[in-house]
Amino acid sequence: MPAYWLELSVTAAPEAVEAISEVMSRHATGGVAIEEPYTLLDDGQVAQPLLDAPVTVRVYVPADPGGAEARARIEEGMWHLRQIGFGAISQVSIRQLAEEDWANAWKEHYHVSHLGKRTVIKPSWREYTAQPGEVVVELDPGMAFGTGLHPTTRNCVLALEDAIRPGDRVLDVGSGSGILSLAALKLGAASVLALDVSPVAVAATRANAAANGLADRVEARLATLAGAAGEPFTPLPADIPILGAAIGTFDVVLANIIARVIAQLAPALLRATRPGGTLIASGIIAERRHEAEEPLRAAGLTDVRALIEGDWVTFAGTRQE
Amino acid sequence: MAKRVKAIVKLQIPAGKATPAQPIGPALGQHGINIMGFCKEYNERTANMAGSIVPAVITVYEDRSFTFITKTPPAADLLKKAAGVEKGGGTPNKATVGNVSPQQLREIAEVKMKDLNANTVEAAEKIIAGTARSMGITVG
Repeated sequence: MPAYWLELSVTAAPEAVEAISEVMSRHATGGVAIEEPYTLLDDGQVAQPLLDAPVTVRVYVPADPGGAEARARIEEGMWHLRQIGFGAISQVSIRQLAEEDWANAWKEHYHVSHLGKRTVIKPSWREYTAQPGEVVVELDPGMAFGTGLHPTTRNCVLALEDAIRPGDRVLDVGSGSGILSLAALKLGAASVLALDVSPVAVAATRANAAANGLADRVEARLATLAGAAGEPFTPLPADIPILGAAIGTFDVVLANIIARVIAQLAPALLRATRPGGTLIASGIIAERRHEAEEPLRAAGLTDVRALIEGDWVTFAGTRQE
Repeated sequence: MAKRVKAIVKLQIPAGKATPAQPIGPALGQHGINIMGFCKEYNERTANMAGSIVPAVITVYEDRSFTFITKTPPAADLLKKAAGVEKGGGTPNKATVGNVSPQQLREIAEVKMKDLNANTVEAAEKIIAGTARSMGITVG
């Protein structure tokens, strides 16, 4: 492996990107990376491409004589593309990068993190000795949401620590990585039904449950609750089972999703919470808190507490007896 | 969930062969996401497309979780297959290495139209004809 790499970047109009990628990929192994500008909509939940904005194409070549030759050929290729009439194509810009163990370097971003008052999230490659009263969840970040780094996850754990009683049955709607399901079990719950509409999340919940020796106490299912079908925020993938009242009631129900989905699911979430039980609803951006809070109260949530961190709100309350 | 988008990265890489080396390592590494997790999932999803370049568009969220979708192969890949050539000409606009028929160009334009954000098939054809020309592939 070379000790250093050169990142070669070219910026041009979108219609030139296919041709530029082809020329650049001839002189660099592995493929190209493309950065298309976008704007964020819907409180940052949706990224919409900016269709006419310039696009940047990048390749990586070794910082050696072979790499210098590749760079010269790419410069030459860009000159020819300009002659063909692809319009403005920038000069090739260069940045030197040190070779890294990219397969493992990302792990540096993850440390043992303390959530709530006594919950600890530990990546499997870190060492940690639990202090008296602490519970430790081992969690390797994958694709699924719920790494412990987000304020909504932290607030849910804080609410869970207050809510969970030994032997509780818990429902986790939108389980992601399974972080909240596992925290609930470590805090004393007996069992969790974990639902998600993403197969990646269901697999991650199962894998993380197994890694914590809790596989037999987590039932992870590709499913959601009734109510999400009516104009869902993101169209639901086809064939997702929608569970009705037959799932029964739970001592604690968790829903760390987003304001609009919380609003849609509010009646179903309350129906799944036993009278006197706790509902924790989260993922609610501050400016949309009323959008979620009113339907939750209307559906029978009382003693509502709001936990706020940054832009994010978590509601915890009790279902009326 | 409560996902908020932090970054979007598009990679044009060979199906079924993703590794943490360049360009994937440096392109995703700066966002702090689980690169092996991406490679494994990408290779699984594209295993039956070996031999093609299958672009992946990766959306990274604030908590470093991510999702990705795969796109249609780049026009250059489709052109090479249609013309029956291994690779494009060494220097754009110089040597002719192959030919595709107008019908083949139309078919590629139809496949690529959505990913190119082209409003009409004709607009997509124009872009793809330009790519063909840059590769030394003629249309006729």
